[in-house]
Amino acid sequence: MNVKSLVKRNYKKQPEIDFPDYKSSIFRAPKNKKISIPSNLEIFGPIFNKKILGKLDNDLTSNFSKNKMSPLGHKIIVHGTVSDQFSNPIKGALIEIWQANAAGKYLHQDDKNPAPIDPNFSGCGRSLTSSDGSYKFLTIQPGPYPYPNRGIEWRPMHIHFSIFGECFGQRLITQMYFEGDPLINLCPMVNSIADEKAKKSLVGKLDTSQSNIQNILAYKFDIVLRGVKQTYFENRQEGL
Amino acid sequence: MKNSYKILDETPFQTAGPFLHIGCMPNKIKINNLYKNDLGKVPFKNKNEIEMITVEGSVFDGNGIALDDVMLETWQCDENGQFFGDNGFARFIPDKLTKKFRLFTVKPGQVENLDEKNQSPHICLSISSRGLNMTLNTRIYFEGDDLINDPILSMIKNNKGNIDSLVAKKIQKNIYVFNVFLQGNKETVFFDI
Repeated sequence: MNVKSLVKRNYKKQPEIDFPDYKSSIFRAPKNKKISIPSNLEIFGPIFNKKILGKLDNDLTSNFSKNKMSPLGHKIIVHGTVSDQFSNPIKGALIEIWQANAAGKYLHQDDKNPAPIDPNFSGCGRSLTSSDGSYKFLTIQPGPYPYPNRGIEWRPMHIHFSIFGECFGQRLITQMYFEGDPLINLCPMVNSIADEKAKKSLVGKLDTSQSNIQNILAYKFDIVLRGVKQTYFENRQEGL
Repeated sequence: MKNSYKILDETPFQTAGPFLHIGCMPNKIKINNLYKNDLGKVPFKNKNEIEMITVEGSVFDGNGIALDDVMLETWQCDENGQFFGDNGFARFIPDKLTKKFRLFTVKPGQVENLDEKNQSPHICLSISSRGLNMTLNTRIYFEGDDLINDPILSMIKNNKGNIDSLVAKKIQKNIYVFNVFLQGNKETVFFDI
């Protein structure tokens, strides 16, 4: 019989969980090795319906504006595709994003950075990928901001991404950075990923082709979720 | 299937950070005019409340502090072992004051394993937060179910894993307690799924 399974995760291409340069990980990162188990329910769903989406959910320049006022900062397009490790586009993937405003401030009571909030910007958006796996957000360029780590450090400009593909086992939460930002290489969260190529895959590339069409700077960020294999069932080996 | 050498690398994780509520549950932090409902507010619609269970608990860090800035997500089948669409998905955070999360759901039925061995009823649980460079995955099993013959639990037991950390304790009819320990001698078993 044919069964589905997930491509085994390659932890060499992922961040270290226990990475003391990122201070918050010290008392939160589990110390024991993860135990490998065959996926079961993790390989089916959840799948989200486009009925959940509002018209402006992927337009952060409008979805929180008051009296048609634009948020401060320059508009950007962030777009790309969601595919699996076999280069198959994933249709209907739910992407949720959140980010700071142009001044580097989040609309969140726990953000202690003394920068102004923008009454016309929430920093919240979401979208479902089209049949070709593509997505697109209209937003504004987030600012960098200081935060307490080993003393005060600066986060590079970034947008948080949360993605649901076809199943719980493909779940991904990550951040997109911006090409050319000198703060990227100084960031301990980025540097928790040892593999240089993996690190670079989180940097959205300036995409002048899109920018020229709409007169708005565009960045391209492609996302790869774990592959789902269909394999003929033989006696499965279980182990750690 | 395409050749394995052509496999792309999975995009790396990064921490969800402390402000994940903005994107994942805006209504919870009073960003009210964007989404009608936060995603995964209830795992199932139209279920008989009398038959539902509550799973409550806290997520503790290495200092024994119950955290309130973590996000939990669960995925499960219904009482008949069925799931469809986003039915069975829930997303929640601990209460700011009590530091306890509360999942109100149906007790899942039995799901078949890929190798056709029956698995004990369970709920898949993921945890994301500031300080976690990757989302963690574990499972919630239930005290009172047959946990001896479950193939996954047997496997963990054979490898001296802390099985107790995966079992929700029944404290009252339909009320279970499930605490997550990120570190320490009670550290929860986390899975590479």
